[in-house]
Amino acid sequence: MKVITTKGVVKVYNPDKIPVKALNGVDLEIKEGEFTAIVGPSGSGKTTLLNVIGGLDRPDEGDVEVGGHDIDAMSDNDLIDFRKEHIGFVFQAYNLIPVLTARENVEFVMLLQNRPKKERRERAEELLRAVGLEDKMDKRPSELSGGQQQRVAVARALAPKPDFILADEPTANLDSKSSANLLDIMAELNREEKITFVFSTHDQRVIDRARRIVTLVDGKVSSDEVRGE
Amino acid sequence: MILIMAWRNIWRSTTRSLVVIGAIAVGIWAALSLTGFATGMVKSYVNNAVKNIVSHIQVHQPEFLDENEVKFNIPDVAEVEQAIRSEEGVKSVSLRSIANGMISSSKGARGVVIKGVVPEDEARVSALEENTVEGEFLSEEGRNPILISEELGRKLNVGLRSKVVLNFQDRGGSITAAAFRVVGIFDTGNKPFDQSHVFVRRSDLNGLLASPADSALAGGALAHEAAIMVNDIRNVDTIAFSLGAELPNLKVQTYREISPDLELYEGQIKNISLIYLTVIMLALVFGIINTMLMAVLERIKELGMLMAIGMNKLRVFFMIVLESVMLGLVAMPVGLLLGYITIEYVGKNGIDMSMYAKGLESFGMSSIIYFELDPGVYGQVAIGVFLTAVLASIYPALKAIRLRPVEALRTL
Repeated sequence: MKVITTKGVVKVYNPDKIPVKALNGVDLEIKEGEFTAIVGPSGSGKTTLLNVIGGLDRPDEGDVEVGGHDIDAMSDNDLIDFRKEHIGFVFQAYNLIPVLTARENVEFVMLLQNRPKKERRERAEELLRAVGLEDKMDKRPSELSGGQQQRVAVARALAPKPDFILADEPTANLDSKSSANLLDIMAELNREEKITFVFSTHDQRVIDRARRIVTLVDGKVSSDEVRGE
Repeated sequence: MILIMAWRNIWRSTTRSLVVIGAIAVGIWAALSLTGFATGMVKSYVNNAVKNIVSHIQVHQPEFLDENEVKFNIPDVAEVEQAIRSEEGVKSVSLRSIANGMISSSKGARGVVIKGVVPEDEARVSALEENTVEGEFLSEEGRNPILISEELGRKLNVGLRSKVVLNFQDRGGSITAAAFRVVGIFDTGNKPFDQSHVFVRRSDLNGLLASPADSALAGGALAHEAAIMVNDIRNVDTIAFSLGAELPNLKVQTYREISPDLELYEGQIKNISLIYLTVIMLALVFGIINTMLMAVLERIKELGMLMAIGMNKLRVFFMIVLESVMLGLVAMPVGLLLGYITIEYVGKNGIDMSMYAKGLESFGMSSIIYFELDPGVYGQVAIGVFLTAVLASIYPALKAIRLRPVEALRTL
């Protein structure tokens, strides 16, 4: 079973000037197939926690293990390869590649994995159909709405068949209809393909749909609530 | 897909890319044109020297080259001439007898080299006939005709139909003298040469050079120099080598050996193009660095995202290098074409340098320069541009891979 474990994770920004403890001893275990929301006020460390779990940032103290891999033991380039194979990211600002079409954006990570062209193309189309964008495949990000871009981002995150998808406030820039639509898609993928979703959010609509809610306050887990859907 | 990405990336800022592409194209054009100009100038110098003075190959008696005395003539002239004429690749031959002496008029006297030539042979080897600007070229008619240069005529205050007296030693060592009539005035454009050379018929000169003891040499049997033109200058060394083997007792020299300055100039053409190329490419490096650095700096967030989703540093580095190379590759055909058109056009029509012609002619160059370029230079420039583009992208690409994704993603 693929698990994310953090033990006593501390992350300090600006250690030399005015130190800010973004994470102050986070112990957390996220199991395969969960649909978890990390919530908390601004500055409580949500994004930092996601970055540390995703290997974008390294903890100053404590251990992070993702699917049995010790994040801290890996070099920067190993981390890039690790993310490519095991982790899908969805960013608040979509962050698609502006010069590529929706289909090419989804294919891109599979290209980095050196998958054959035919397989890339089929999977990209399948995923874009799954997020309801079959008619927008050849559009560039600038020709898509925010909601559509974020759906492309979800399809891109899913493309390499990662173990975990980490989404940082995925609905922050979306209207309620697009948000609901995106959440439906993510919930369905979670249910049917058993993909583990972890997202940071302070959007109540998202929190309502989560099956587990981890609340961070001042860089610590203040509550951890598991509930049915 | 990285190729597609790189290609589309360079067109995200069309104006900026076009400016740098334009700069590279102009740089290529300038490098080609300057090299073409320099090559044309050197070739004009070499061609003038070959045509007017040294010809492609010369054959002498070895001692003649050292001593310059009339007694060191080429033995068995007829056989030597036959051997040269039957050599493959030889276009024309002129046998000359040579004496060092003095030319005098009522105004004064000057030391000159007197060359005795067979008029129709000489006309096929050197440009002397074309360079005869007044009067007529030597012919079989008339008694003791002589060609002198404009320059010498002025110094001696003689003109067409004037009488001059030549003094020199004959083969027996006695001083001999004869009167000649100026039938033509020549001007090769090379002042030092013009001032010191006069041309007469070989039969006239031989008649004077042969002492009564060796009267057999009078007429056509005496010559000191065989000047040879070949069909293709590129074969000059092979032909000279084979002639040398055939005429073991004679000294066979190519124009480069006779006039080492020609070899020096010819050798410099390659260096000239390299120097121009280096200077221009160095300037371009900074233009490309600037463009690529801007392209990287305004894409920090995107580059961070690419590394976040799994694009490793090598690939990011490669993508930036590729973008820079593509700028170069777009500019390359444009610059090469512009350069080619310029060189072809000026190569045909020439560029008139007559404003500076006086200076040029005292160096033995023409006043109209025809651009010329060794085709290899195009390849050299293309490789140079490619290397420049790669070189210029290294710093921006390093900058890109030094980004930490998490920080890059945070930038706005």
